[in-house]
Amino acid sequence: MDWDKLVQLIVNGLTLGSVYALVALGFSMVYGILKLLNLAHGDVLMVGAFIGWGVLGWLGGAQDPSVAVWLLIVLMVLVAMVGCGFLGVAIERFAYRPLRRAPRIAPLISALGVSFFIQNSVLLLFGANFRSYEAIDLVDVEVGIHWGPLNVWILRVVVFASAAAMMIGLWILVTRTKLGKAMRATAFDREAAAMMGIDVDRVIVKTFFIGSALAGAAGVLVGLVFGQINHFMGFNYGLKGFTAAVVGGIGSIPGAMFGGLFIGLAEAFSVGYIEDFTRGRLGSAFSDLVVFLILVLFMLLRPQGIFGKPDVKKV
Amino acid sequence: MRKGMIAVALAVLASAAVVTAAVAKPSATATPAQVATCTNVSLGFLGPLTGPAGFLGQEQISWLKFGVQKYNKENGTRFALVEGDTQLKAPVALTVGRKLASNSKVLAVIGGSESQAVRVTGNLFERTSLANVSGSATAVDLTKGRPYRSFFRVVPNDGVQGPQILNFVSTNLKAKNVVVIDSQDDYSLPLASAITRGLRAKGVTVSRESVSADDTDFSSIVANVGSNVNVVVFATQVATAANTLSNQLREQGKRATVFGTDGAYSPSQFKPRNGHVSIFAPDLHFDPKAAKIIGEYRKFVKKDTSGAFGPATYQAGWVAMSAIRKACADGRTNRVEVTKLVRSSTTPSIIGAPTRFDAKGDLRGGGQFTIYRITNGKYSPVR
Repeated sequence: MDWDKLVQLIVNGLTLGSVYALVALGFSMVYGILKLLNLAHGDVLMVGAFIGWGVLGWLGGAQDPSVAVWLLIVLMVLVAMVGCGFLGVAIERFAYRPLRRAPRIAPLISALGVSFFIQNSVLLLFGANFRSYEAIDLVDVEVGIHWGPLNVWILRVVVFASAAAMMIGLWILVTRTKLGKAMRATAFDREAAAMMGIDVDRVIVKTFFIGSALAGAAGVLVGLVFGQINHFMGFNYGLKGFTAAVVGGIGSIPGAMFGGLFIGLAEAFSVGYIEDFTRGRLGSAFSDLVVFLILVLFMLLRPQGIFGKPDVKKV
Repeated sequence: MRKGMIAVALAVLASAAVVTAAVAKPSATATPAQVATCTNVSLGFLGPLTGPAGFLGQEQISWLKFGVQKYNKENGTRFALVEGDTQLKAPVALTVGRKLASNSKVLAVIGGSESQAVRVTGNLFERTSLANVSGSATAVDLTKGRPYRSFFRVVPNDGVQGPQILNFVSTNLKAKNVVVIDSQDDYSLPLASAITRGLRAKGVTVSRESVSADDTDFSSIVANVGSNVNVVVFATQVATAANTLSNQLREQGKRATVFGTDGAYSPSQFKPRNGHVSIFAPDLHFDPKAAKIIGEYRKFVKKDTSGAFGPATYQAGWVAMSAIRKACADGRTNRVEVTKLVRSSTTPSIIGAPTRFDAKGDLRGGGQFTIYRITNGKYSPVR
């Protein structure tokens, strides 16, 4: 057993999984309340990555930042969260709210349209060139934890810690606050919640704001730890985030967190071991095959996901 | 029956006469004004101006613009450029190729910059008799068996690059364990396979890995790189990807260095602490004899961030413009004539020996790739 490799794959899987978990949370929150698949969610992450890149450039760039590195990262994440939060609210207001009473296929198509709209808007604004955060100039890759087989760049720790903090924060918000109670009530029965005096529209807007803000933060974290960003990056992260939400149980917040980490680890392990397990027949190029095979298996064997509850209807 | 045969023969003769009249040059020599009018045509550019390899296309178009301006000034011609952005996507390249082919003002295409663009447009350009001269498409199969008769390239192909890299890796770097990574595209797969085969034949232990051209994280691939691996050869068209790979190797404490193939050549984007990269044309910035042309280019652009991609495309443009100008000696020209003249041309070159093509459209004599060592992000030629 190559322990160095195993440890490293766990680190990689957790980093990637943290990002997927943040995306999955947004999917789950919106689905929980509106029963809508917000297919534009991955593109919100992409916008967040570009906002972070803009803030980085505005504050002097990675090579010569005009503020302390920690402050720079905090500002990048915060501005991206606020920007993406408002983007999410705008998407809800103009693309989904008018279709709230339409057949379920209509908002789904609208979501696809929004996804293409965002992607092409960024293409128009920034061009299709890959942009780089060059975070290695902010913090050298050798700065971090180096302990036996464990080599972790400090920015990976930042990504994991901030994703965990956001997930815990969201969990507290949903379970311990008035807004969280309103969100749960709306998710349980929108009409009953309205009759109880809950401003459902307001709750939905806040849900979109929070979910999109998390995606914005995820975008910055991706840029920081993996370096490159581009206008179509949202598709891949959106797809993996959606998979994570389904595996964890769409609509469930702990499910989204678990699903994200599970998919991240599955992806890392499949890249690392697929060749060994298939005796060289399949290479690392087929890692996505494993990820989506997991999705198919879950859909067949446990469609409600790990933390989800079966949809029981009274007759 | 006999009358019919005579009629057919006469018709064939008449057609041949018409075609000959159309193609053959009258003996008259055009005045400078007629040449200027005749060369009031366009060169099409087919390359990735945006997308993952946008850096490459931007450099090429910048040098091509410089070349067109310089050629017009020196020769009294009036060439213009029509830009076509492939975004490094084959379907987009075909759409752009169709637009260029249907534009009657376009008499030659500079590109495709990437091999996959040549593959999807090669037959189209052949059908429309449009000479396409590339300054960077290096895949061997583009000329093997002459599949696209109007395609030419001013740079050596991967049949030269593969052996050079494997010789350098095994002999100069004395590597015993190598990982070769492809990016699952038409450019990198054959090149990576050729390097893998060659290294194994030399007794080097080689593992193969694959990434997608869109991937931005290689940390799990890097986890597969053993501590005994000396070199990771990355066949990619995305310089930022090669840079990320190099950073992630360092992050995981791996001592292997990255050897990037020509697509990774970018002093501004691929800046490993320690690595190598090969390229099909010398980077003129390292050649004192090229100081004049580099100086002229720097006057033309505000900021020179170019490497080796631009000058080769400048050369491709120069070949095409020289052929069109020659074709305009009688005051008129067409695509068939231009393609014919490109095929037989000998054009002085800024990147090496005069450019002449063999029967397949390759550089006569094969040419050589140049290998650069990169230390702390700084490039220096090795051979």
